[in-house]
Amino acid sequence: MNAENLLFMILMIAFPFYLAAFVLYSIRIVKGPTIFDSVLAVDCLSFDLAAFIAILAIYFRSAFLATSAIILALWAFLLDLYLAKYFLKREVGI
Amino acid sequence: MISEALMYIGGILVIIGGICDFFGALGLLRFPHFYVRLHAATVGTIGGAVVPLIGAAILALGCDFLGWIRYPIAGMSFITAILILIVSPTATHALAFAAHRSKAIEWKEKVCDHLEGVKR
Amino acid sequence: MIFIHLVILAISMILGFVFSYLAIMEEDLLKAVIYSAGQGVMFSIAFYILMAPDVLLAYIAIAIGIYTALLVFVISKTERKEVV
Repeated sequence: MNAENLLFMILMIAFPFYLAAFVLYSIRIVKGPTIFDSVLAVDCLSFDLAAFIAILAIYFRSAFLATSAIILALWAFLLDLYLAKYFLKREVGI
Repeated sequence: MISEALMYIGGILVIIGGICDFFGALGLLRFPHFYVRLHAATVGTIGGAVVPLIGAAILALGCDFLGWIRYPIAGMSFITAILILIVSPTATHALAFAAHRSKAIEWKEKVCDHLEGVKR
Repeated sequence: MIFIHLVILAISMILGFVFSYLAIMEEDLLKAVIYSAGQGVMFSIAFYILMAPDVLLAYIAIAIGIYTALLVFVISKTERKEVV
């Protein structure tokens, strides 16, 4: 088989696992009894979404689309730190 | 010849990443309380995001029909993998420290607590 | 299925709608901020599938980064439960 069909087949096999993982993370965001569970689920969702974006950039054949993976990962990291600082010191000094 | 082998290796890493991601999300849904869910989150981020990004970098290097575009995609995926490898344990560690020190989540089966008498 | 990107677009839009509805109806204000961040993540996939990388970079920085930080800063100055 040639290269394009092989790429399409790899994407077809990996695609339902990622979608099922995104839906399960979203259920944990809604259902979490405390705030920390929701924030952890948003964090994991952002990282796995960044990985999925980098894989789809090969499928769409564009180099500009892959830059947003780094941005998503880094801003999700900052979201964790804001909330941790809120709970520790009761104030967030920006 | 080499590009075919690179595509197969990258594809296997991407599929392994997808399976690890699914099991991490399932564990995040089924574990009892917050401190046990941190273990499932580790599988979700490292196995589900770092490994597929390295796989995407190798996969992009093997595709010859893309032309010169494959080099920026491979470089950015690899740098994102290294960044997530450094950043993700820091974030979850800060979250767990804030949950324990502010006594927001109680740890029921406590055996030994090294942070008990430590004043900040 | 040649159109897998349309399936991703549909699922992410539905989840974004669910998150935004829950963000309005929630009483605990800190949890509503987290729902708003989740909605921002879902909309950012939608911008990606519609092939707009410049809008995507600005949207991620504003809706996930600055907006939640600003709202957490405001909530730390007042109370946490919404009084209706």
